[in-house]
Amino acid sequence: MANSRTNKHAYVRYAVIRLIQGAITVWLIATATFFAMHNVPGDPLMDEKAVSPEIRKNLQAKYGLDRPLLEQYGIYLSNMIRGDFGISYAQENRSVNDIIREHFPVSAILGVLSIVFAALGGILFGALTAINRNRLPDIVIMFLVIMGISVPSFVFAALGQMTLVNVNAFLGVSILPVAGWGSVSHMIMPSLILGLGTMAFLTRLMRSSMLEIDNADYLRTAISKGLPPTRIFLRHQLRNAILPVITVLGPSIAAITTGGFVVELVFAIPGLGRYFVQAVQQSDYTVIMGTTVFYGAFLVFMVIVVDLLYGLVDPRVRLD
Amino acid sequence: MALLEVSDLHVEFAVQGGSVQAVRGASFSVNEGETLAIVGESGCGKTVSVQSVMGLIQTPPGRITRGTAKLRGQDILGGVAAGGREIRGTDIAMIFQDPMSSLNPTMTVGAQIAEPLIVHRGYSHRQAMRRAQELLEMTLIPDAASRINEYPFEFSGGMLQRSMIAMAIACEPSVLIADEPTTALDVTIQSQILDLMVDLQRTNNMAIVLITHDLGVVARMANDVAVMYAGEVVERGTVDDIFYRSAHPYTLGLKSAMPTNRQGAVQKLTPIEGAPPDLFDPPPGCGYYTRCPYAMEVCEATPPIVFDVDRAHQSRCWLHHKDCLQQVTQIYRP
Ligand SMILES: Nc1ncnc2c1ncn2[C@@H]1O[C@H](COP(=O)(O)OP(=O)(O)O)[C@@H](O)[C@H]1O
Ligand code: SF4
Ligand SMILES: [Mg+2]
Repeated sequence: MANSRTNKHAYVRYAVIRLIQGAITVWLIATATFFAMHNVPGDPLMDEKAVSPEIRKNLQAKYGLDRPLLEQYGIYLSNMIRGDFGISYAQENRSVNDIIREHFPVSAILGVLSIVFAALGGILFGALTAINRNRLPDIVIMFLVIMGISVPSFVFAALGQMTLVNVNAFLGVSILPVAGWGSVSHMIMPSLILGLGTMAFLTRLMRSSMLEIDNADYLRTAISKGLPPTRIFLRHQLRNAILPVITVLGPSIAAITTGGFVVELVFAIPGLGRYFVQAVQQSDYTVIMGTTVFYGAFLVFMVIVVDLLYGLVDPRVRLD
Repeated sequence: MALLEVSDLHVEFAVQGGSVQAVRGASFSVNEGETLAIVGESGCGKTVSVQSVMGLIQTPPGRITRGTAKLRGQDILGGVAAGGREIRGTDIAMIFQDPMSSLNPTMTVGAQIAEPLIVHRGYSHRQAMRRAQELLEMTLIPDAASRINEYPFEFSGGMLQRSMIAMAIACEPSVLIADEPTTALDVTIQSQILDLMVDLQRTNNMAIVLITHDLGVVARMANDVAVMYAGEVVERGTVDDIFYRSAHPYTLGLKSAMPTNRQGAVQKLTPIEGAPPDLFDPPPGCGYYTRCPYAMEVCEATPPIVFDVDRAHQSRCWLHHKDCLQQVTQIYRP
């Protein structure tokens, strides 16, 4: 038994605990990334630039690679706490912070659009299939859902781009740009493609959640109150059915972020994902570590945000 | 004329390979300001009967195959009157057995109580919330002003049932249907809930249809009683008819299975032997045949008709036929 004040108090406590857990998770990610990077074969100084052992030595000294590993780890951690991810090995004079600052917003817009699209579509189609259970709309949508879940996003990316090329050629005008970035019309196709798999997954989840509460006692109560069907649907059924969808939004953001790497490459979008892939190809230590830790922190943060959001929708979790 | 009159209700459920005849002839009625108790073992069709009246049976699998329900003479079977006028929440309201799951977990209790007022009475949200608070006060929930903003999980079972009652009476219905409203609650709470219902009945002159399997509750609450068995109402009458002039062998069985707390009385409980028939394949004759101590040859294959034992006292049993030679002293025959 609690009044609404202790309720709010409990919610704040819950939020703080989740944030502390999040910080610990980010530290673990940073540590794992650091030691993983220092154990992979090859290093950024191995390519043609570092021909002579002298130059190599100089460079190693410059980047601190000649110090003991634990000392490097200490420097790395203290820099990171100050929000300094270091300088790129491959692109001289460019700090990792700069790269993130410039390219992350592009990835973020793409990701946010995708997740909005996936969530709205998933809730809408899930509810639609549940209402029309075992009828034509249900059968058609659930078939598409299976495709959406099983076909990888690069296939959809290629298909989507090809379709645009053909449609634009057929109509003689460009309804949507085929690639690139800069305007709203550039964003539509890639974010649809990127959100597709998640939308399919959320549709299925929403459908089963709707069917599960179909016989709920509180829906029977709502009918016994003589409420109009739309009100029962929106206020009593939908709101409760959405709860499981919200819980998986956190992990879905992870799926969309990783899918973003591919979609950014296919559609030539100057997002952080593209730089990450490039950095891996060039063994650009600092960029890889910086973006990995940054992405990790971002995902952890998003999962916490979703958790807290869930607490707002479902009053029961606030006291957990 | 009775306020609510249900006649000859038949309800079945489609199941694998056939149908379950859940209700096979239920007739009962309740007068303004009075209480009708519907009693009977679990599974005998009490819930399905009242939920059919309220339109709460999912169709399919459910189907009302026969019968009528009239409120002030007007047909309302399924919860909707002629012309599509909604009578649920306005003229008839209902509370349920499990208050813990009967409220929406993601909506404040106040908002749920306010809902019928907004929908049926055109109240603004503010007006409705203010009234919700008054209703919670009427149902004797302390701190109603802050309680209206809380969620069901913050309430105890007893308080949830009080809130359900507050919600049900929001639009001052003329009939309140209560389906085992205290079965899921602690014994001490049960009594308080029943008291509350009686109080509200007096102030609102509300009729109550109370489903219970507890004859103690019947004795305390009811004016009239309908005894159900295997989907049928087997005996109807006033509470005195049922307790002191029992006219059906099943009613006798129920009574001897009931614990008494009379001073000095030796508690001698005799549960009824056997089990009710499977309603997927109901027996051709009397549903009570296999368990009835007075069963006769005719009972096996011929379903008994309803006999008027007295004015407003009826029994569905062959013992009341004028040609029946068997005299059973416990069975009332005027
Ligand atoms: N959805 C359903 N499908 C099949 N049978 C049902 C369904 N609902 C109720 N029944 C059957 O109807 C009969 C009466 O049930 P019910 O009215 O709940 O009994 P009571 O309330 O008297 O305990 C039971 O035999 C039950 O199995
Ligand atoms: S009809 Fe026959 S079997 Fe049924 S209750 Fe009466 S006496 Fe018993
Ligand atoms: Mg029942």
